[in-house]
Amino acid sequence: MPQFFNKKLLLLLVSIIVLVALIGFSLREREELTWPEQFLKDTTGWVGNVFNKPVSGITGFVGGLKDLQHTYDENKKLKARLDEYVLLKTQVQDLKEENEELRDNLKKEDDLRKYSPTQATVIGRNPDRWHEMLTINKGKRNGVEKNMAVITSNGLVGKVKSATDFTASVQLLSSIDKANRVSAIVQGDDKAYGLIEGFDDKKNLLLMKRIPYDKKIKKNSLVITSGYGGIFPKGLLIGKVVDVKVDQYGLNQTAYIEPSTDFYDINNVMVVQREVDGVPKESEGEDEAE
Amino acid sequence: MRYFILSFIALVFFVFESIFAQMFAGDAFGADKILVPHFMMIFVFFLTMYGSRKMGMLYGAILGLTYDVVYTEILGIYMFLLPFLAYLISKSMKILQNNILIACLTALLFTAVLEVVIFQMNIILSFADMGFGEFAERRLIPTLLLNLAFIIISCYPLKRMIEMLDLQGETE
Repeated sequence: MPQFFNKKLLLLLVSIIVLVALIGFSLREREELTWPEQFLKDTTGWVGNVFNKPVSGITGFVGGLKDLQHTYDENKKLKARLDEYVLLKTQVQDLKEENEELRDNLKKEDDLRKYSPTQATVIGRNPDRWHEMLTINKGKRNGVEKNMAVITSNGLVGKVKSATDFTASVQLLSSIDKANRVSAIVQGDDKAYGLIEGFDDKKNLLLMKRIPYDKKIKKNSLVITSGYGGIFPKGLLIGKVVDVKVDQYGLNQTAYIEPSTDFYDINNVMVVQREVDGVPKESEGEDEAE
Repeated sequence: MRYFILSFIALVFFVFESIFAQMFAGDAFGADKILVPHFMMIFVFFLTMYGSRKMGMLYGAILGLTYDVVYTEILGIYMFLLPFLAYLISKSMKILQNNILIACLTALLFTAVLEVVIFQMNIILSFADMGFGEFAERRLIPTLLLNLAFIIISCYPLKRMIEMLDLQGETE
């Protein structure tokens, strides 16, 4: 009997208990990381930064050489679109001015679309590819806070999951997590609201769920953020619809969305801070978390 | 001094894994395959085999904890798993012949065990939704091929380096 309680077995049991406790602790919705975690993240972030510079220099050079091959074709195509662009630009300018004028008339200054960006470089990616997360080289010192939206020049990529003083972790839209939701609009004659939740990583498509069943959704319509979650600005591009399905009870529709950014090739991002403050905590009636 | 060198190498492996994931996250190896670099774990396995069990478990725990904190943000899984696998490896090396081919195959086998256990943990915590067949086809086999290539390239330098640091002195 005393043999049963030998040291190794006891150690194993204790460590299993510690393991379960630790997992439980870290799965909780935490406002802030503990200071040892922040310290470790900042230190490895610094080391990652040091290593990242030469590596990204080399890959940038190789990428540049590859681009050089396609320059001629691209140039041709771009020239063809240049005229179109000039027309579009004047139109946009006109609309902007009109919008400002109307806003002035209404004395409405708040705008969910307005945001201020912070540039950041990606210095690492979670190697165990279950939780799709990136590490960026800007943190609280640069004004990056938890839950801010993260975009590239092509569109929305995710949100800040946690921030330390000098680094931040970005959770991509493609990450499978129940708490990873974004309120979105399908553009069209009849706007449809829904939530981006879930990712089909085999086909590389985002799932937009909870769209009311009576909305007609056209393929190829664009999907943007709605700004109603309280944190994200309005009008960030997410992607375009490629397929629509009615869910199993026939109450909702699910749209399959091809993301406008490639989640596997992200090097530079912008963390955006919305200028209008989020919904105060005590207000009720908001239907989504974020 | 030798602990400093060892820790520095461990740190390089740790950071390199993340940079590798960032560089080759895309379609570099075929459309829907997911390759997971486990370089740091392989380092720990070799440290256990050619250094000492104590060192292997200690470095496993520290590196595992750092990995949890920095990359996955779910504490405990790697921190617990790495020392445990290091312990199993040192036990199995007592039975197995100690030549470099066997060592490589053992390291590969334990990488597979690690990957499967992590998969199961993520299923339990509902961070993953794929069946075992899909997992094997899309993740496990590509991952093992990548890590096999890494083991083949680095087994001899790693072995020489760990033996040169002479950690055998303070075994158990």
